[in-house]
Amino acid sequence: MVEQRLEDWLEDGYAVSFRTACLILGNPADAEEAVQEAFLRAWRFRDSLTSVPSIKPWLYRVVVNACYSKLRQEIPHRDRRAGDSNLDELSASDADPAASAQQSDVAETVLAALQRLPASLRVPIVLRYYADLSERDIALAIGRRPGTVKSRLHEARRRLAGDPDMLTLAEDGITDNPVEA
Amino acid sequence: MPLLDDQTLATLLHEAGDSFALPPSGAADTLLRVRRGDTERTEPEQEEASLAPLAAPVRPHAIRKTIRAHRLLSVAAVVVMLLAIAAGAVSLRNTTPPKFGAVSPRLHTPSSVGSGANSPTKGFRTQSPQSAPNASDKTSASPALSSNGSTSGSDATAPPPLPAGAVGQQPFIQQTGSLDLTVAKGALSTTLGKLTSLAATYGGFVANSQTQSSSPGNGPGGTVTLQVPVANFSAVLKAAEALGKVSGLTTKATDVTAQYVDLQSRITALEDSRQQYLTIMTKASSIGDVLAVQAQLDSLQSQIEQLQGQLNVLGSETAYSTLVAQVNEAVIVHHHPAPVTPSGVSKAWHDSVHGFVDGAEGLIRAAGPVLFALLCLAALFLGGRTSWRRLQRHSL
Repeated sequence: MVEQRLEDWLEDGYAVSFRTACLILGNPADAEEAVQEAFLRAWRFRDSLTSVPSIKPWLYRVVVNACYSKLRQEIPHRDRRAGDSNLDELSASDADPAASAQQSDVAETVLAALQRLPASLRVPIVLRYYADLSERDIALAIGRRPGTVKSRLHEARRRLAGDPDMLTLAEDGITDNPVEA
Repeated sequence: MPLLDDQTLATLLHEAGDSFALPPSGAADTLLRVRRGDTERTEPEQEEASLAPLAAPVRPHAIRKTIRAHRLLSVAAVVVMLLAIAAGAVSLRNTTPPKFGAVSPRLHTPSSVGSGANSPTKGFRTQSPQSAPNASDKTSASPALSSNGSTSGSDATAPPPLPAGAVGQQPFIQQTGSLDLTVAKGALSTTLGKLTSLAATYGGFVANSQTQSSSPGNGPGGTVTLQVPVANFSAVLKAAEALGKVSGLTTKATDVTAQYVDLQSRITALEDSRQQYLTIMTKASSIGDVLAVQAQLDSLQSQIEQLQGQLNVLGSETAYSTLVAQVNEAVIVHHHPAPVTPSGVSKAWHDSVHGFVDGAEGLIRAAGPVLFALLCLAALFLGGRTSWRRLQRHSL
């Protein structure tokens, strides 16, 4: 039963989890490893899922913990080449070159702005605005109180608003396209 | 400073997130790895991965960090040990030597002599002041008994300290004794009964009892093995001595502190190992890992129980002293009067009588052959005379 739930989550939520990890870590390779490691952890501790009221924040907590592990243990000691490698991984869509280039620019700017945030702020804002978790679920996922999540989200928004690149993106009307849930 | 609205942020983040191309077989690889790890985890590196799922990849910086952490832990452990040693030294220095009749705190037992309230679970090594004066002069020298015996003296002879044990902790002494008693005839059963009640009175029990009937040269006897608390051993010994005449007494004390501490240390080490295996067990994911860890746990549990049993036996032996009392009834020896040396006349008379008797016996012995010879001659005479008469009759 639990195994089936985990497999369903992996099949259905792998894309969101992977891209969430990408936004947190800024590197698809690390994100892939983190998600895989997170799922392995979840699989090994699947027995504790029976006592968890909601599986989604629990699983995101595992993903976030895996990302934190990556951030703490590996990434700071790696030659990250200032995000150049991340750009190579971006924009694998099949859209026309112009749209693709524009999307790459947006992604590059957003990713750079996110990477300038500390992890304690980057994780909540990615979970809130990309993974669409509620503040309560974010609190469960990062192991903090909801009040802490609120304050961190506010601080993250404030810092992003102070980022000129992000303001430029917002003013250029990139956000005209509706967001798909 | 204006904040980006939620809609804008969500759109930007989705734009950025969706720009990452999904790995072509990311979910499938993960599922495959999970299933393979769950069913085919046989290679060493896979087993290692299963037993340490949360372990971070080994990196040089991680190793250095671990070494630094271990160094800090080692320094902290050394500091704690030094503090513990210093505290122990201070406490030993503050400990006043026990005075005459006083009971050392570590030797104190809550139950008094004769209360019968001692139980095996109470202090293993106890010596009570009541038992101190009872140490007999006949007892063989042993550290514990010597200390007891010395307390019956005066203040001038300070009691020598008890053996400190193998590692400077509370000593564990096995104490045994053997007592040979001789009682009056008919008092055997009474004495055995008193010995039995003696054990009960001093909080002990009779471990073994047997009697034997009298044999040539030996009267009836019996053997009673008493198990009494160590604190009451001397008192029981003295009371037993009063039940009869002591014909033999032997006591022996053996320090088993080192053995006791060794067993405790081994049990502690095994329990630590078991705890580590239990931790590993929580991280084991495959049946093979679980079975392997379970086998180790079973082995450790068996060893722990075996050592614990030895420890319990040792604790029981040091909590209770053994006194073997051999009781024999006194044997009454019947003395025969010494033969009186005869005088000359009586000896002549006895010789005469013996000569007469011997002569009569000689006659009787000789009468037989003579009588046989006479009978043979008579038969020959009668036969010859009959033959002669027949010859004369035929000749006429």
